Amino acid sequence: MVETSRDDSLTIALSKGRMQEQSLALFARAGIHVDEDERNSRRLLLRSSDGAYSFVFVKPGDVPTYVEYGVADVGICGRDVLLESGADVHEPLDLQIGRCRIAVAGRRELLGEDYNLLATVRVATKYPRIATAYFHEKGVPIEVIPLSGSVELAPLLGLSDRIVDLVETGRTLQENGLEVIDVITESTARLIVNRASFHLKTAQVARLLESLTRELGSPDRRG
Amino acid sequence: MMVFRGWSYDEIILPMFDYQDLFSRGMGRDKAERTYRFVDRDGSLLALRPELTSLIARTVATRFRRKPRPIRLCYSGEVFRYDEPSQRAAGEFHQLGLEQIGEAGITADLEVLLIAIETLTSLGLTGFRIALSHVDFFNGIASRLEFAEPDRTRLRELIDRRNSQALDHFLASHAPQIEEAERQRLCQLIGLTRGDESLVLAGNLLANRQSLAAVDHLTRIHETLRQLNLAEHFVIDLGEVAGLDYYTGLTFRIYVPHRGTTIGSGGRYDKLIGNFGDPEPAVGFSLSLDGLAGALAAQRPDEPWQSVEESETIEPGDQLSGAFLRARQLREQKRKVRIGGDKSR
Repeated sequence: MVETSRDDSLTIALSKGRMQEQSLALFARAGIHVDEDERNSRRLLLRSSDGAYSFVFVKPGDVPTYVEYGVADVGICGRDVLLESGADVHEPLDLQIGRCRIAVAGRRELLGEDYNLLATVRVATKYPRIATAYFHEKGVPIEVIPLSGSVELAPLLGLSDRIVDLVETGRTLQENGLEVIDVITESTARLIVNRASFHLKTAQVARLLESLTRELGSPDRRG
Repeated sequence: MMVFRGWSYDEIILPMFDYQDLFSRGMGRDKAERTYRFVDRDGSLLALRPELTSLIARTVATRFRRKPRPIRLCYSGEVFRYDEPSQRAAGEFHQLGLEQIGEAGITADLEVLLIAIETLTSLGLTGFRIALSHVDFFNGIASRLEFAEPDRTRLRELIDRRNSQALDHFLASHAPQIEEAERQRLCQLIGLTRGDESLVLAGNLLANRQSLAAVDHLTRIHETLRQLNLAEHFVIDLGEVAGLDYYTGLTFRIYVPHRGTTIGSGGRYDKLIGNFGDPEPAVGFSLSLDGLAGALAAQRPDEPWQSVEESETIEPGDQLSGAFLRARQLREQKRKVRIGGDKSR
């Protein structure tokens, strides 16, 4: 087993890819630095310059899992990922990066049509849990078709009537003849905290929260 | 279990399955949905026991009705349930626990907390924390704000997730009568757990009698723990609102390093026994054996499991009857005996 942290240091799980640089930049502005060489290496386990924090890089969807099980004390992931995972963690801070929407979309020419009351609506999505909860609340029976990418294709090929997906600018939807029907929720990156770490590493978690909160509140913050 | 007995708790052996209805009454319908169920010959719905407190409550309210109070019972056994949201976990768990029935008030609360500490300490665990809370802190605030459903549930969710920012927005729109300073203090309070300074902070927050009484109760408990030099094991966590439907007073959760989830929890549940007979105050807790074993293994990886008492080895030799006779004598002196040496060495 790799030793991820000293007993008094905090292990932070970060999403690889899109949010990785944004997250590290945010930490840097909050005074938590990672050595340039280390950053450019391909290692999945880094340590901050002062040794107080370890960073692990995992797939975005796995961040809540690492934190829920306490392998990482803290993590950063999108609210979309968090909702979909259903992980039982604290979410004390909205980091206001990685802003996007989770929306229901469908083919433009069929928009006027109400949900067919006689047939189950087929919904293709990367977010089965969120989609189910949303339509359940509306009282619309659906069949979820789980996909792991290029969800926009599903209505075009007749695989589904609707999709539930992340929308950043809406361009991908537009180019594929789809339109947003309803926004389920806004999503931004969240700082999530393991329930046990919250009590066992109170001081360290508090320090991290404070420096991030201060940074988020500062006027020269970039979005 | 030795610690439990030291505090005069008698072990009770409980049925492995019972009527589903019993668990619905004991745990509330929603939680009891997580049982493994099957049907009896006469068609009634049975369930493998998802927890042991309901079974104890029924026993106390019926068979032990005439026994003098308080009644002290402890148990160790398997429970079976689907555990949401982590459906990944196996459906079978071993629990240790105890219940003290018939006594309201702070003495019983403290007794149970002290037993919890002693149990963990006697196992050699270090660095654990017990987070204390009280259901009336939240209840008082919710009724002071005159929140009805679904706002009440929403408030509770936000507090449970420690989502201070969303809580701030929610209160600003749903309870505009609260002053901003007070709103921020509440958000700050749930944001982090602290020692007893959070009680001072909570003192007259959104003043209402129910919350004040809860804070007062926790203050007295914390004071006693400090006099016993045990305060380091405790944090006050007024943002703990998970057990609201079940508990009626003090609640607590136990955390140890290297375990991401709680390894035990407990509290006061004065309404439960009334579901099975006359209402009676009660307080108790349970520990997860898997959690304890995992935490021990992580804290002291080099130490093999060994039995607590040393046992005496008797080599049978040629004189079989002599060896067994000697064993009997030792057993009569309550000593532990093993016949034959360890061949593996």
